[in-house]
Amino acid sequence: MLEVRNGTGETLGVLFDRYHAPLYNFYTKLTGDRTLSDDLVQEVFLRILKYRQSYEPGTPFRAWIYQIARNARVDHYRKTPRHITFEAEMVAPVMPKDSAQQSEETELLHRALLQMPEEKREILVLSRFQELKYEEIARLLGCELGTVKTRIHRAIQELRQNFKQLERGLAPRDAGPAVVKTIPPRRFGNEM
Amino acid sequence: MRCEEIGELLPDYFEGSLKAGQDSLVEEHIAQCADCREEVVIWKKLSLLPVERLGAGSRERFEAMLSAYQTGRSDKASAGFGPSKRGLLWSWLRSPVGALAWSAALLVIGVFAGNYFGNRPTHSSANQDEIATMHTELANMKQMVVLSMLQQQSAGERLQGVSYSRREDQLDPQVMSALVHTLRYDGSVDVRLAALDALSRHGAQPQVHKGVVDALQEQQSPLVQVALIDLMLEWRDPDAAQRLRDFVQTPNLNPAVRQRADWALSRLN
Repeated sequence: MLEVRNGTGETLGVLFDRYHAPLYNFYTKLTGDRTLSDDLVQEVFLRILKYRQSYEPGTPFRAWIYQIARNARVDHYRKTPRHITFEAEMVAPVMPKDSAQQSEETELLHRALLQMPEEKREILVLSRFQELKYEEIARLLGCELGTVKTRIHRAIQELRQNFKQLERGLAPRDAGPAVVKTIPPRRFGNEM
Repeated sequence: MRCEEIGELLPDYFEGSLKAGQDSLVEEHIAQCADCREEVVIWKKLSLLPVERLGAGSRERFEAMLSAYQTGRSDKASAGFGPSKRGLLWSWLRSPVGALAWSAALLVIGVFAGNYFGNRPTHSSANQDEIATMHTELANMKQMVVLSMLQQQSAGERLQGVSYSRREDQLDPQVMSALVHTLRYDGSVDVRLAALDALSRHGAQPQVHKGVVDALQEQQSPLVQVALIDLMLEWRDPDAAQRLRDFVQTPNLNPAVRQRADWALSRLN
């Protein structure tokens, strides 16, 4: 990262190779939109290039990159507010024949996740899929470690409720709650 | 325990960071309590969600963005020079006379700065710590990049990893050991040759020396065998003659390789 910070474009390619997949999955699970997620990943790397001087050597790089990722998403929704809708295509396109039940379960789970308020969905995505430690999430969200754990527990309770309702067929297939609420990001000094 | 108390433990249970004994408390509770059990189940079920992959065009978009950004920056920089006078100055600086004058000026500045800063009191320990941290971070980053590239599926990327390792004058022990491993076991001849080339600059290090010399008996590719023979000759390894004598006894040895080994033996003797 220091090489990127000092202006070497080549090293950014190495960072792209390492982080594009986790970032893409962060966005797809948060937004349910592959095209937008792809755009946001590109935006993150552009911001890394533009604001590389704001990276403080010695501080965790992952926290910095996810901070940029969160800000990029918030800025996007600020410009173009929209509703999240479930995209059927988000479920893995090719599933083994004997896994029809699992495929249905996956779809319900994804719908249940996307029905959650963004704040809860984000903390689940960060803790379950991005391999971030709770301490790292606490730093990223600017809150206490205990708060992170409480939020994770509440989020999982809500996810369970949503999932059960969908399983029972109580919620219509296209019911998405989910007006996107923008979460004020904590910025690292610079406008990223 | 009550559900509220278990609920407080669940996030750590998910993360696997509960203290000894607390795990079994949670497990006992969820065996009896359906609500809490469902929370654990739903957490585990999240792993069913597919890992999404970016399309192939994404890398190209990134490259295009990078190149556009860099072009934009250089255009901006050159636009800042303004018209004729600065253009003339730039041409003059690029001419041989200008280059000589510019080099001399840099030398004077360098000597002056060296004297000035060299005589100043030493940096504060905080600055030195910061610089040391930066160096360590940079070294770790480079090391991580090389190690991860050497494990890639694509031979091209492994080759890139080997080239990247050549940028360092001092090889980190982990990188060195990964390069020796690459030399011995990589599936691609090109990558093995590149690893040998990278290691050849560090023959003074016993681990490299041993790894390279030992690799001779294991190699099947004539190209790598010849490169190894040449390197052993160049290093004038004390055991080289004996090792080469053993090597030429190998049955079904490629004739060109045998010839090279015989030639190296004659030079060593």
